[in-house]
Amino acid sequence: MNPLRTSRRGVLQSLVGTSLLLPGLVSRLLAESDSRDPLAPRPSPQPARAKRVIFIFSNGGVSHMDTFDYKPKLFAADGKTMGVGGGLSNQQRRLLKPGWEFRPGGQCGALVSDLFPHLRERMDDICLIRSMKSDDNEHYQATLAIHTGSFFFSRPSIGSWVSYGLGTMNQNLPSFVVLAPQMPYAGTQIFNNDFLPAYHQGVRVIPGREPIANLDPRTTQPGVQDLEIGLAEAFNRQHLQTHGHDSELAARIRTFETAFRMQTEASETFDLSRESDETLALYGLKRGQTDSFGWQCLVARRLTERGVRFVELVDGSSSHNWDQHGDMAEHAKHAKAIDQPISGLLLDLKRRGLLEDTLVVWTTEFGRTPGVDGEKGRGHHSACFSSWMAGAGVQGGLTYGSTDELGATVAENRVHVHDFHATILHLLGLDHERLTFRHGGRDYRLTDVHGNVVQALLA
Amino acid sequence: MKWTNQIMWAVVFALMTMVSVSGADATFYRGINLNGPGLTLEGHAWESGDTTNLVVRGSAFENQSVPLKPATDAVRARMIRSSRWGSDVEVQLTGVPAGPYQVFLYVWEDNNSEQFDLLLNGKAVLERFHSGSAGQWKRLGPWKTTSQDGRLTVAVDAPSHGAANLSGLEVWAGTGEVPGTTPARFALQPTAEQVDFFERRIRPVLAEHCYECHSAQAKQIKGGLVIDSRAGLVRGGDTGPIVTPGDPEASLLIHAVRRTDPNLVMPPRHPLPREVVADFEAWVRAGAPDPRTENTVAAAQARSAIDWNAAKQWWSFRPLGIHSPPSVQQTNWPDGDLDRFILARMEAAKLAPAEDATPAALIRRVTFDLTGLPPTPDDLRAFGNDPSPTAYARLVDRLLATPEYGERWGRHWLDVVRYADTAGDNSDFPIPQLYRYRNWVIRAFNRDLPFDQFVRQQLAGDLLPAATSDQQQDQIIATGYLANARRFGSRVEDYPQHLTIEDTLDNVGRTFLGLSLNCARCHDHKFDPITAEDYYALYGIFHSTRYPWPGIELEQKQRDLVPLVEPGRRLEVEAQLKTREREQRRLEKEVQRLRESLKGTPADQKATVEQQIRDAESAAREHARQAPPFEMAYAVAESTQLEDVAVQLKGDPAKPGRVVPRRFLTVLGGAELPSGTSASGRLQLANWIVDPAGPLMSRVLVNRLWHYHFGRGLVPTPNDFGRQGKPPTHPELLDWLAGQFQESGYSLKAMHRLILLSRTYRQSSVRSSDAVEKDPTNELLSGFPRRRLDAETIRDALLLLGGTLDRTPGEAHPFPPQSEWKFTQHNPFKAVYDTPRRSVYLMTQRIQRHPFLATFDGADPAASTPARLTSTTPVQALLLLNDPLVHEQSRRFAERLRAQNESDADRITAAFEQALGRPPRSEELTGCLNYLSEVTTRYRTTTPPSAQPELDAWQSLIRVLFRLNEFVYLD
Repeated sequence: MNPLRTSRRGVLQSLVGTSLLLPGLVSRLLAESDSRDPLAPRPSPQPARAKRVIFIFSNGGVSHMDTFDYKPKLFAADGKTMGVGGGLSNQQRRLLKPGWEFRPGGQCGALVSDLFPHLRERMDDICLIRSMKSDDNEHYQATLAIHTGSFFFSRPSIGSWVSYGLGTMNQNLPSFVVLAPQMPYAGTQIFNNDFLPAYHQGVRVIPGREPIANLDPRTTQPGVQDLEIGLAEAFNRQHLQTHGHDSELAARIRTFETAFRMQTEASETFDLSRESDETLALYGLKRGQTDSFGWQCLVARRLTERGVRFVELVDGSSSHNWDQHGDMAEHAKHAKAIDQPISGLLLDLKRRGLLEDTLVVWTTEFGRTPGVDGEKGRGHHSACFSSWMAGAGVQGGLTYGSTDELGATVAENRVHVHDFHATILHLLGLDHERLTFRHGGRDYRLTDVHGNVVQALLA
Repeated sequence: MKWTNQIMWAVVFALMTMVSVSGADATFYRGINLNGPGLTLEGHAWESGDTTNLVVRGSAFENQSVPLKPATDAVRARMIRSSRWGSDVEVQLTGVPAGPYQVFLYVWEDNNSEQFDLLLNGKAVLERFHSGSAGQWKRLGPWKTTSQDGRLTVAVDAPSHGAANLSGLEVWAGTGEVPGTTPARFALQPTAEQVDFFERRIRPVLAEHCYECHSAQAKQIKGGLVIDSRAGLVRGGDTGPIVTPGDPEASLLIHAVRRTDPNLVMPPRHPLPREVVADFEAWVRAGAPDPRTENTVAAAQARSAIDWNAAKQWWSFRPLGIHSPPSVQQTNWPDGDLDRFILARMEAAKLAPAEDATPAALIRRVTFDLTGLPPTPDDLRAFGNDPSPTAYARLVDRLLATPEYGERWGRHWLDVVRYADTAGDNSDFPIPQLYRYRNWVIRAFNRDLPFDQFVRQQLAGDLLPAATSDQQQDQIIATGYLANARRFGSRVEDYPQHLTIEDTLDNVGRTFLGLSLNCARCHDHKFDPITAEDYYALYGIFHSTRYPWPGIELEQKQRDLVPLVEPGRRLEVEAQLKTREREQRRLEKEVQRLRESLKGTPADQKATVEQQIRDAESAAREHARQAPPFEMAYAVAESTQLEDVAVQLKGDPAKPGRVVPRRFLTVLGGAELPSGTSASGRLQLANWIVDPAGPLMSRVLVNRLWHYHFGRGLVPTPNDFGRQGKPPTHPELLDWLAGQFQESGYSLKAMHRLILLSRTYRQSSVRSSDAVEKDPTNELLSGFPRRRLDAETIRDALLLLGGTLDRTPGEAHPFPPQSEWKFTQHNPFKAVYDTPRRSVYLMTQRIQRHPFLATFDGADPAASTPARLTSTTPVQALLLLNDPLVHEQSRRFAERLRAQNESDADRITAAFEQALGRPPRSEELTGCLNYLSEVTTRYRTTTPPSAQPELDAWQSLIRVLFRLNEFVYLD
């Protein structure tokens, strides 16, 4: 942290002593306060179980039958050639048995494969959904849909909707933060505010020297930035007085103060030096390391505890991800990268009492085919896949929904992407049919004209 | 051609009595069932697929379980559902005597839509044919040709992933009419026996079993079908005709009562006795003779549909009213008729106008408004010192004549038409040629191209007459507007062209008519009087339009662009380009073929084949690298398939309903294409839109102008003049302006003058507290609405003040060469090209936002932006605090000021004038001088001391100016 960044008020007061500012201005500056704030925290319109969300997105299509959806018949049917249904899998394909053993986890005994040994231990906190359903077998469309509810058109992301619905709990940080070392399919559209006002755009964080663009003061001279802000504020206040106290002008003055504080507060959030060794170990993170998913998870916890409403963690990029067409064995590498960090995050949140009112969501854009693709891989499969939720308001230890015996189609309790979204909003106290925004002559919703809250998941 | 017609042609053979055969008719030469046995169709003997004098290439394919759309008789269905399949199917008839022939081809689709070209004797007769959804089939043709060296050859040419299903070939000799091309007709004058048959055997059944759901009196009319009159029976229901006269096998009605398709059984509960079904078959076979004269269709439609007379009363559909300016009390305030409309409403609300703006505020306002750049200190002084009453009018004229005017106002248009330099598919392919359209828009504004022509050229520039070759090329470039519609997905099979057409219609509706047409894609519009049939009537126009192909992941090469050559050479050059494309595809397929052959090659010959592969690859690469020697426009053209389309039930292309003729919106008159038009209808559509009798275009446009001048339109929703939008605050003024616009010959510059010279526009932005209280949103314009500069203007102003703005017009973007394009959804095209030129020339990606523009609420490049939002976010503040652009431009500005002025006081004055459009007040001057000395001291006294403490302090002061509300707000 830069010790030279002192508090705003202090700087203004220090200017009084200099002959620098015009008489009378500073006292007015100190006296004024502003109203009307689009990001002011708003109470949930309905009783809410969750105050905030951590949304983990594993990009590329995680195979359900190799991770969370145990299919003993598929082990037995290895090598048989058949069309099993579910879109692409109508084609005749050689079935491929899952590459990992399944074992029960936690008290609930939910079956999880050896790809996720750490997460398996957390199954009592996790509500597993094995009957997810999407509508498109293209990465791009399915990725767009799991974020925006729309398969083809750009629409506001779920994080933007939540920010729009609930505001933020910390004015010095953005309401919607996206921890994305690299971009997934559909690019910036996954955190775009689209037609919602720009306050609700996801702010991308890239691990490194300056995690948020323009966060570091470029003015290195001690105190100069403070003076600049002070002088600008003085001129702006004077301008405001002669311009009829326009609330938009007043709001803009305040953003400089927020940005000024964000330089400090956000930087402090990304500074992991005061985290204990034990905490770092929980996330599988070495001290000083930023190039791991553990960094994303730990920063997510820090953002969450500082009041950020919606944090998204992007796992993988559009060119390096879970899309194993050639060889399923590569799933191991991707699972290893996130297994301990996510499990650590859940445990850490729980220990700190944050899991009570924080909803943690893990999903991918679609599952993979029971039949083989390439030599030893699997194809895209939107007919069914697995996701999970944990924390605020969901039943830990529950396994909900199922697929048919080969994992090709949903057998019972289908949870469509729209239902998934409706349920997340519900947990935040938002009614997905009422959270609307008028645009182009229509009231838009995250769930378009679809979606049902999956009551069975709720605690 | 219409589906209905095809069915009718097909059945006419069974009804020879109904068709007049002239002596000059063509004669049946050969019919071939390409993948099946010989058969008899329409009385002609067809040969089997392995007959003599026939060479067929392509895989055999058969799937008899797919239900055909439309239904047809069993023999034809069997023939259709067995076919020859592949991306390079070829059918060659040999031993063909010399002479003229006419060729028909049966094609069908068994699952997902595919695209391919069809060549007859080497010449393309159909390009980019879409095979449709599962079960769709067509009898294509007739195409006229002559035999060549005793051969007739039909060939498919498809990109690597396209594939055709060819079922049957039918060839007629001669040039005369092929019998049966006149559609079958319902029996017109039933004989007494037929009337008797109908009354005794048909009508009672209809009344007892059908009318409950299918009559004008039904409680709820099902499927849009009424059969309580002959007219209703002939018209059919939502899915199209139900009776094909003469052909029970092709009649939906018969299939329904036979209950062969479980999805279509009628009557729903109890089957009709077999003899009754037989009666219906006989009746249809006889041409469905029906003596009923009452027409119940209109009555049935009136029940469910829109009340058109009422619909036309909606304010925006009413003809332009002629309104004289109202009288006002404060007669010395108005400076013209426009002001009287504004003042009258203020007076009615007991409000008074604001003071006139100061000259300094006014020149800053109007200069940013018209050019997007700040006035220079010289401009400020000249205007401030010119007491002449015409000084302001001359200023407006001067600004309208600058090239920067077109850059500023062209950008507004680009917002509305959602301009982008990339295609928007999953890989977001670049469109290197589209900058020509962008520049065309800017030029059109600068030369004040009359707006009706501006509209016509964008919709149909290629179809308009042109005096010179340059003009024609210019008009072709203008259709880049349509070509710029979004592309979707990564698929080649099942390519979602319907989404691109939807995007086109959505934008055409909003941009030119202020209507949201897209709501009618799935069902009749819930709020506005636009039906699904209206929607698909317009859809047919763009279905009949060839869009350029920008490339997508699985077919990465551009094609179907329009070469910019003299009009006389276009066809020849397009043919050359086609040949090039085909050659490229041939070379690539050869590579593929060799690669596949490698698997079965014995080890000792592998090296040879591998060398062949390398040679073939390099040949393909080399061919691709040779750019065609023509400049190209990313523009549209007429398609080779000019046809009406079917309504897509619930917006699903796989559920075709009734075919609707291409025409304009019913509520706007419903004008149809002249009969026999062989054109897409784009030109007619353009003319319908610009027709001065139509109320929408002029209203929509003058409202947009008002919106950009005042920050809010008279109609606050510039893209929506329907019921979901907001009504005008000053309806008479809106119509008066629209009338003035028409009288001016659609001159935008005349309208700018009219608005800018008004006293309304010249008001101060400071409103009385009384006005703020009574009219908090300033709807009545008792003062100029203050507004924030938009993203482009902020960036341009920073560059201008820094002295780094390059004011030359932008040209092409530095995209990588096409031969290197390998974009996929895994590695989409993604770039930010910096440019010292104005922001309108920044490369705009459709699915990636430019970081600076996105931060300051730039336009959405994926959807029409009728109005920029002005959000105020900490991220914007962070940018102004720390972005390198801000720091670099402030340094340069500081250096310029220091070089050009002697004293700090002069420099501060110059800085204020350039950045804020006014000199500093004395207290500000003192404050700034004190600030400089304080900050200079700080820079001087740190360790190590700054090398240029004064410059550093100056840069700091400039950064302060760049962050002021006064800098980014326009008063």
